[in-house]
Amino acid sequence: MISNPKELIPKLDELGYVIDEELATVIYLMLKLEKPLLLEGNPGVGKTEAAYILSTFLQTELIRLQCYEGLDVNAAVYEWNYQKQLLAIKIQEQSNLSTTQKEELIFSDDYLLKRPLLRAITSIKPPVLLIDEIDRADEEFEAFLLELLSAFQITIPELGTVKAESKPFVILTSNRTRELSDALKRRCLYYWVPYPSEAKELKIIKKHLPDIEEKLALQMVRTIQKVRALKLDKSPGIAETIDWAKGILAMHVTEINNESLEKTLSCIVKSKRDLSAVREEIHNLLTR
Amino acid sequence: MHYSDYPTFTAAFIGFGHLGRQNKLNIGILENQEALIAAVEGLWTESIIFRAALKSIYCNNLEEGEIFDSLFDKFWLKQKPRIKGKTTFKNQSNLTKKSKGSLVMVGIGQDASKSKEDAHNTSGASINHALKKTDFAQIEQIESRLLEELAEELWKQMSIRLKRKLKKSSKGKIDLSGTIRSNLSSGGSMIKLIRKNRMDQKYRLVILLDVSGSMDKYSFFLLKFIVSLKANFKQVEAFVFSTDLIRVTEYLNDKNLKQTLDLMSRHVHNWSSGTKLGTCLKIFNEQYAKRLLNGKTMTIILSDGLDTGDVLLLKEEMDKIKLRTKKLIWLNPLKGMLDYQPIQRGMQAALPSLDHFASAHNIESLLKLEDILANA
Repeated sequence: MISNPKELIPKLDELGYVIDEELATVIYLMLKLEKPLLLEGNPGVGKTEAAYILSTFLQTELIRLQCYEGLDVNAAVYEWNYQKQLLAIKIQEQSNLSTTQKEELIFSDDYLLKRPLLRAITSIKPPVLLIDEIDRADEEFEAFLLELLSAFQITIPELGTVKAESKPFVILTSNRTRELSDALKRRCLYYWVPYPSEAKELKIIKKHLPDIEEKLALQMVRTIQKVRALKLDKSPGIAETIDWAKGILAMHVTEINNESLEKTLSCIVKSKRDLSAVREEIHNLLTR
Repeated sequence: MHYSDYPTFTAAFIGFGHLGRQNKLNIGILENQEALIAAVEGLWTESIIFRAALKSIYCNNLEEGEIFDSLFDKFWLKQKPRIKGKTTFKNQSNLTKKSKGSLVMVGIGQDASKSKEDAHNTSGASINHALKKTDFAQIEQIESRLLEELAEELWKQMSIRLKRKLKKSSKGKIDLSGTIRSNLSSGGSMIKLIRKNRMDQKYRLVILLDVSGSMDKYSFFLLKFIVSLKANFKQVEAFVFSTDLIRVTEYLNDKNLKQTLDLMSRHVHNWSSGTKLGTCLKIFNEQYAKRLLNGKTMTIILSDGLDTGDVLLLKEEMDKIKLRTKKLIWLNPLKGMLDYQPIQRGMQAALPSLDHFASAHNIESLLKLEDILANA
């Protein structure tokens, strides 16, 4: 393991994730305190990616729970395999087992379908549990998570309380489309993931596309940082920057000018409104 | 307070926690314990790392982070202030300037410009809280930009949430006969549930904004609110009215509101004039209602109800809209006033037809529209 946040920086860098000291500190603290980490920020700033890289770094499984409105315990924690239970009842109809024995049989682990949260706390080796876009889930589900995030246990009425074999490393992400409850946030470390600085974004591009020319990459980063300042409906994230860089390289472009930007604009902006907003400012985007 | 006021490192942490609580940060014993653990782990030796560690423990959102940064600078990094006492927003800026190049406890200090920015942000959360409750009509010019930014952000969030809430689940109701039929092979045991296909319900919002003279102080923000809704709902139809009714949906497509206003001023000739609600609603009913209103449409009227036209006509036209729309909502900026009574002729005529009558004088009141629409 690591004994200093700074040790994380080169290790994650080797895995292709450019990280600054602040985020490295927070991840280090998360590992030390064994406390969930809530990453909030605009879409496309690398929140989800952080969980994937962490699982690679820790050489452990990544278990992902994608949240959505209406997400319930059946989809997130467990569900009984009703079909299998019904068939077992039919088979056991002629057997000499007592009712209690039959009940014990059909409410055993064999008939339990483990969903992400239960899988995470019953894993022998602590996995990285990614609870993605928690702000999309209902407040009721958020309340349900409290037991898991504080005591690392889940209560199943038919089986009792299942305690974690080993505490998973939990990362929650939120795009902040709504405020999460104080109770949930107090159980987590918090970090706001900002858009990357010019230097960091340049490093990210070079990490993904080592062959790109420094001058071209710098020009692209400066342009994309200006595009973000336009307050579009959907500001381009890091993924868009990388897509754009790939597009530019594929077209053998050597300089970002009116023509090349216009041709590749669809890599950066994803709606008609944003497209026209960027086009109007295209001249300002390219001036130094 | 300053770290050097405390006899031990542990006491300084507790003191910092106390300072945080005084500044509305949610800091308890657990947070202080974790901060101490972080320090024991050696995370206090460099300011960037120390700040990031404490921030992740003590803060729960971006705004709290801004308050924290300022407290952190004051408590851990800067020289002990000579004059004690309650520091105001202005004083903090001065303090930062004076303390440039002063002693620092941990690692490198921040540069003056960053600190100044932090000081500016100190009261960020509380300012936002106050702005949410500030009547649009009372807004000072200096606060106007802040209010616009906050409103834009909050309304955008609201529109996204609302869009999700109004989107129906793809799961339909259980098809009983279909379920029985498909489970015949398992001896009638209900192993497989069959569901009916569900038609995707698309809600439409029709918004009518009063831009008469009496609404001058509110029109801009309410228009901005409509633009936010329009950005996230394809099915928004917007109209402005005073003595005449104009459809402005097409002008709300531009991201830049200033340009939108310029465009509208060229096409809307009755801006800031008197109000003839009945006449305008008649035009709406004759020209648009048949096409736009149905059982999935929610109609919102944004007006102060100060009508100079025919009240009977207004009542008649309101009844017509009520019959055609799913919900009829009236948002009145005056309702935010203390002791407001809807005794104006226009309001009196409209009230019986309304499903909801709510205020629209500040950001907070407009955010409440989310619940009204989501539960409609």
